[in-house]
Amino acid sequence: MNVLKTEALCKTYSSKGNVTYKALEDIHLEVEAGEFVGIMGPSGSGKTTLLNLLATIDKPTSGRIEINGTEPSRLKEKQLALFRRRQLGFVFQDFNLLDTLSIKENIVLPLVLEGVPVKRIEESLLPYAELLGITPILDKRTYEVSGGQKQRAAIARAIIHKPSILLADELTGNLDSKAAKDVMESLKKLNETMGATIAMVTHDPFAASYCKRIVFIKDGRFFSEIRRGTNRQLFFQQILDALSVLGGNFDDIPFSRA
Amino acid sequence: MTFRSLALSGIKGNWRAYNAFFLSSVFSVFVFYVYGSFIYHPDVINGHIKAAAGVRKGMEACQYIVVIFSFFFVLYANSAFLKTRKKEFGLFTLFGMTRGQLKRMIIMESAVIAVLAIAVGIGVGILFSKLFFMALALLLNVDNPIRFIVPLKAVLITSIGYFTLFLFLSALTSIRVGRSEIVDLLKEASKPKKIPASSPWLSLLAVISLASGYALAWNMNMYNFLIFALPILGLVTLGSYFLFTQSSIGLLRLVQKNKPFYFKRTHLITFSQMAFKVKDNARILFMVSLLSAIVLTASGTFYVFQQSGKAQLTSHFPQTIGFYEKGLDQHEVIDPAKVRSIIEADNRKLAYELRTVGIPAELTEPAPEGGGAGSQVNLQAVIISASDYNRAASEKGYDSLSVNEGSAAMIYPYEEMRNNPVFKGEAIKAKVGGQWASYRLDESRFGAVMSPEGPFTYLLVVGDKRFAEVQRAVPKSSQHVMYGFEIADWETALPTVKKIEKEISLSGEAENQANTFRVEQYVNLQQTSALTLFIGLFVSLLFFIASGSMLYFKLFTEMKDDEAQFRSLTRIGMTAGEIRRIVASQVGMIFYVPLGLGILHTFFAMKSLSNLLNASTWVYASVVVGIYIVMQTIYFIVAYTAYMKRMLKAAV
Repeated sequence: MNVLKTEALCKTYSSKGNVTYKALEDIHLEVEAGEFVGIMGPSGSGKTTLLNLLATIDKPTSGRIEINGTEPSRLKEKQLALFRRRQLGFVFQDFNLLDTLSIKENIVLPLVLEGVPVKRIEESLLPYAELLGITPILDKRTYEVSGGQKQRAAIARAIIHKPSILLADELTGNLDSKAAKDVMESLKKLNETMGATIAMVTHDPFAASYCKRIVFIKDGRFFSEIRRGTNRQLFFQQILDALSVLGGNFDDIPFSRA
Repeated sequence: MTFRSLALSGIKGNWRAYNAFFLSSVFSVFVFYVYGSFIYHPDVINGHIKAAAGVRKGMEACQYIVVIFSFFFVLYANSAFLKTRKKEFGLFTLFGMTRGQLKRMIIMESAVIAVLAIAVGIGVGILFSKLFFMALALLLNVDNPIRFIVPLKAVLITSIGYFTLFLFLSALTSIRVGRSEIVDLLKEASKPKKIPASSPWLSLLAVISLASGYALAWNMNMYNFLIFALPILGLVTLGSYFLFTQSSIGLLRLVQKNKPFYFKRTHLITFSQMAFKVKDNARILFMVSLLSAIVLTASGTFYVFQQSGKAQLTSHFPQTIGFYEKGLDQHEVIDPAKVRSIIEADNRKLAYELRTVGIPAELTEPAPEGGGAGSQVNLQAVIISASDYNRAASEKGYDSLSVNEGSAAMIYPYEEMRNNPVFKGEAIKAKVGGQWASYRLDESRFGAVMSPEGPFTYLLVVGDKRFAEVQRAVPKSSQHVMYGFEIADWETALPTVKKIEKEISLSGEAENQANTFRVEQYVNLQQTSALTLFIGLFVSLLFFIASGSMLYFKLFTEMKDDEAQFRSLTRIGMTAGEIRRIVASQVGMIFYVPLGLGILHTFFAMKSLSNLLNASTWVYASVVVGIYIVMQTIYFIVAYTAYMKRMLKAAV
């Protein structure tokens, strides 16, 4: 079953001087339930644009997106917000946790906004907190925990309301290698044990090596696709090879990680 | 890019934060200049304008208030700016700007702001000074309009004074920046917010000191006023301070403990953020609440004095014209027919007319039983009949009176005597024509129904039958008659009253037998209060604008953080409606909580005032509070709309 489907997706930015810039062109992407897909590409390849379109915070110039059978571009503003709240989960590079809330309050926020009773909120929280290894820090404040813990809390927040798909944007970008490893392991566990569907944009080959499938894009177009076998180390090597074929600017990636 | 242009772009870039501050500065310069232009007006100095001296004194006092206030306001604004711009200053230092250059830049920026604010303030002041003079001329009843003039002295004092003030304060600020380390400057903005904590003892202290301050205010009266006034002020100030810094946070933590409520949709965000916002803004909220209380109490007190002044006049001078004649058919003071004809000739109408026969009597209390020689009061009064009293009372809108056989009612002239009437016993003795008669004292009333002149100051009301007996015993020449004329729309009847006054015989004692002063006193009262109101209006408006702009300003300095927050909230699917609700409750809290406390302070202050004045002040206080709430609401709507627009724009 397809959770996410895009057909001939295009996004064109036009600036004042009639200069148009094609950020994305003719993207066909299908993500099935339970998949863990990575989207990679050099800087300026249109990864973030694609994720913004999938996240429904930007609208495509042409083409269509279907998430769980709904076309978000046809929804009105309020419905769209509710759609995001119910069908999508987000993890950002800079965590985006609210300082004013404790870790636990941050995680349960989507349920609270939905008006779920307190008891059910507590019940849904525990399994995810256990799985992500953040049970001991639930009552801490955001500034009292490490970056990796913050990101795992952010993942818990993105998944607690059981969205159709979890979208992650460079989620290891602000983390050191140990924390990045923890976070990716957690994400993998989430995908494998709970069957969460995940689409992740990254430019870190190490993080990408946890995916089951990677789609490469370049200059706004689909470039290639590789699938993982059983060995992650091998997959990592494959990704590096693919990237070298892809070319472009990956200078900012620490290769020492894997 | 020159150094100067860097400073200028600093202002441009921070204009949103600067604009509220700038407008408040402009307004205070404006007010200061407008007062100055009158104080240093050549016609005022030369004494060409009558009654200007008093006004001038009042304005000078207001100028002092404005300057003191400006000092603290600019001081506060500067330190707030500093906080929001620390990171920027840190970056400049990092890129090699020396301390001296940084200081120079800060001072240059404030100099530019100062020059702009002063120029605009004085410019607007000059534009409006003619209007100001016209209003003053009207209120002062000056025949020739006050000339339009720009007194050089006022311009100089305003500009030099304010320029010095701005520069001095920015120099202070720059010293503080110069002292801090680069790392601290850079870190300032991203410092993690500590979870707001409150001490239960200090919270309790806040409640106790507010409660005891209020209790003292509630029980304040003429006698303990001097002892209570300062402690009340201290307690209430202390209480408000800890209420905002401690109790409010304690209360919010309690709310957060109530899970079903706290974990209900947007409550989670609203209340958790509110705790931080209250903590960050506690001092500001405290100051704004005090400013609101000051403005409200001052204008409320003033309004009460003005309104109760009129009420007092109509109660102390029951009729526009009142006089009494000694002798039943005597017309020594003035012939009532004459009064009537003057009123008619002026095309005015009589609301009503009274003629009351009073028999002069000496009143005293019976000696206490057992013969103790108490200190007995002897009071000169008149005895009048119940039906005469009731006729006058019904015209004044008082209840009618019924007096039983053998009883009497005592009428005191002033409401203020209620607490300490002359006769407290149950009986009263009256001597008429050498004969003592005793009455049971059924009732004492306070409030004159006819001019309280001579023996008519105190009235002993007896039943009509009894009155006829008393009257028979006294020759006509010893009976007094009180005439009262109430002119319709008396407030404007000064010329008519003046004409009648001229006709009143000035021979002998007759002058003291008439009372025609109500209208004139009323006109004076109106003039004084209109002037005070007019002069004070600017100061209270300044306070109001400044307190609002402090809030506005605070709101917009935190905007960057809030924008980021709402952006991430939108991504996780918060609707615009929910954001609106959160913002409305947060901005609303910032605007209305200090106002609410200010209003509470005011009501207790009004209660003390009503104790002192022996009159109810609730209605008047409510009017003032109502106006203030409306003004604050306008301010709130402006701030909320501007803020919300930014948030929604940032959210997408």
